[in-house]
Amino acid sequence: MKRRQGWLFFIILLLTLSLYLLINNPLQLGLDLKGGSQLTLQIIKKEGNVTNDELEAVNAVIDRRVNNLGVSESNLQTLGGDQLILELPGEQNPLAASRALGRTALLEFRTQKEGTSEDLKELDFQKSKIEELIKIYSSAEKNLDGNDFLISIQDRLKEIEQKLNYSANSKDLYGKLIEIKKYVDKEIINLFIKTDLSGKDLINAGRRQEQTNNNWEVLLTFSNSGGDKFADITKSIAGTNKLLAIILDGESISEASVGSQFANTGITGGLATISGSFTAEDAKELEVALKGGSLPLPIEIVETNTIGAQLGSNNILKSLYAAFGGLVFVGIFMIFNYRFLGFVSVLSLVLYGFFNLAIYSLIPVTLTLPGISGLILSIGMAVDANILIFERIRDELQKGNTLTRSIDSGFQRANSSIVDGHITTLVSCFVLFLLGTNFVKGFAATLGIGVLISLFTSLNCSKTILRFFTTYQSLRQKNLYLPRNNFNN
Amino acid sequence: MKLINLEIVKNKRKIISFSSFLILLSLLGILYSTFNTSYKKPINLGMDFVGGNELRIERLCVDKCSDISPDTVLENLREVSKNKKILNSIKFQFQNNNKLISIRTPYLSIEESNNLITNLEKIIGPLNYESKDSRLIGPKLGKRLLTNCVTSLLVSLLAISLYITIRFDRKYALYALIALFHDLLIVFGIFSWLGIILSVEVNSLFAVSLLTIAGYSVNDTVVIFDRIRENLGSRNEGYNETIQLSVNESFRRTTFTSITTLIPLLTLSLFGSYSLFWFSLSLSLGIIVGSYSSILLAPSLLLKD
Repeated sequence: MKRRQGWLFFIILLLTLSLYLLINNPLQLGLDLKGGSQLTLQIIKKEGNVTNDELEAVNAVIDRRVNNLGVSESNLQTLGGDQLILELPGEQNPLAASRALGRTALLEFRTQKEGTSEDLKELDFQKSKIEELIKIYSSAEKNLDGNDFLISIQDRLKEIEQKLNYSANSKDLYGKLIEIKKYVDKEIINLFIKTDLSGKDLINAGRRQEQTNNNWEVLLTFSNSGGDKFADITKSIAGTNKLLAIILDGESISEASVGSQFANTGITGGLATISGSFTAEDAKELEVALKGGSLPLPIEIVETNTIGAQLGSNNILKSLYAAFGGLVFVGIFMIFNYRFLGFVSVLSLVLYGFFNLAIYSLIPVTLTLPGISGLILSIGMAVDANILIFERIRDELQKGNTLTRSIDSGFQRANSSIVDGHITTLVSCFVLFLLGTNFVKGFAATLGIGVLISLFTSLNCSKTILRFFTTYQSLRQKNLYLPRNNFNN
Repeated sequence: MKLINLEIVKNKRKIISFSSFLILLSLLGILYSTFNTSYKKPINLGMDFVGGNELRIERLCVDKCSDISPDTVLENLREVSKNKKILNSIKFQFQNNNKLISIRTPYLSIEESNNLITNLEKIIGPLNYESKDSRLIGPKLGKRLLTNCVTSLLVSLLAISLYITIRFDRKYALYALIALFHDLLIVFGIFSWLGIILSVEVNSLFAVSLLTIAGYSVNDTVVIFDRIRENLGSRNEGYNETIQLSVNESFRRTTFTSITTLIPLLTLSLFGSYSLFWFSLSLSLGIIVGSYSSILLAPSLLLKD
């Protein structure tokens, strides 16, 4: 008896520990349970395979950008050598995030070529016209059927095309507008000469609201060598009519002249601002992209999967309640069939539940739908173990053995079935965990943990609790253990 | 106390022919589904596995986007679209203050999906094409998931049979595996038929349910084999009689276990969310078939003529 009391103490200790763990580390729910976005990013490399180093580099950049986005508990994993899976819990509109993440963010600084002022003026004028057209087209809601409206846009587009001596190949109007804009961007960049200052020389980026209006500007901080380069470049064009262009992913986002007062030293201090009349959202996206550094290879977001908070968690919660209600029924079933033994098994299953959840929060295991499925199966197995034992105890009691002896040999005889059943499941869990994708892993993890704990609770906790209760004389009557009709036999 | 006395020795033929009949029916469904229905697959694979289009696009609105119900959009689309077939299985959703439209469709060619967008624009106003996100939902990912599920399932079955061979006998391992394949095949077949008749699609949760059924079925069978092995060692009755006795001794346990596992699953399919309905249904079916095969089929196979 002493040994059992030791176990009882141990179990109570474990229970306290589990409760403590659960209160301090609440369970982590997967995206499919609490809603959020999952993005699959494909690294694009035209020739050859993506090497491990490149994968790592892309991973690092994306990781930094995600951190700068400020999404809590995001999760980034590589998949199959050329893909990344990014989970953004709670994010319901991944478009903004994907804009900031997917951007290559290649930042260049270029100085204007000699004698191109007129060309630049003209191109900038056409650029503003095409941008205005895009804006008009975009802001017109529901009016697109109005033919006059479309014709006027088309006419104005034709005018621009004539000026540029270039005609767009896209079929739809919007595509044409975008194509022309890209062409203008390319032409503008061609008027500038590359310098050796680039996004690599940045150590930080920030944003602030301009004082004079509501626009935002993005602040760049260069490294020491970058600051020197910036000073050299600004020195070379200071006081001339040549402009400095800041180019992001092939589009000039800012063109500025440098005053003659900088002719001797250039702009020193290693700071620059880009004021391209950004909105707050634009400025943040740019800041995030620049802070993370530019991507060594372009990426494309090949899959976005958003589980809405309503679609996801509400329905799933409903399901969890349903499953929990089902477990209560199981308890009633067990008590109805096995009477006092059923009560013991309910106690041991409650322990089982707490131990499981505590381990989830300890490791931690993120709870997903496959994970819950594994948990349900493992609960089934834990109940099964109890049933196996109780059936044996009943057999022994019916043979006329004493209660203590029946309990002992019941546990002993059920032992091998339980162990065999549990180990076969454990073996397959092990394999599934090793080979499976995340999806399968979640299932294997909860099932495996459940099976291990079930070995302990069924074989040990049930026995300890039963032994504890049977020390009370009033709980030792056989009719607490056998259905009444047995006494007629 | 015996609830029932199962005469498996007498009924061995019937049991095996019943199982063969079920397997035949399942194979029929699988074959019919592969060769004769529109999707040419052994089972109606859902978007998780074959991919489908999910289009997400933002609307360009000045301040606030107007409120439009998905049904109205669908009705209007029906009037303007040439290919009306696509519209039968299309799903609309407005998110982010009606700004973001997400559309789920079956597999569409790029042209078809562009047409859809153009038609949509006529109904709800200009769209921001730069925000367009129109691609297949993880066809590659789905395929990876599918092959991964199958290989890990096969390897784990191999490992299980190795364990049973060591603990019991090669014969037991073989029969446990037969019972297991029997269960998986029948559940698979039922869903093939459901796909044909009700066009029920299977998603990745179905794969998980198959894994779960496999685990459950093996556990169930092993417990009965364990009883058989124990009784064969301790009793002096004939081989076949001992097996029958063991089955009857385990009968209560197996049915009770099935009932206790079925209860939460049934409440799940009745009161849980719709997305889990087919999942809990396939689990329930698997458990019923699994109990049957553990109690009757696997021991019958062990019997000597």
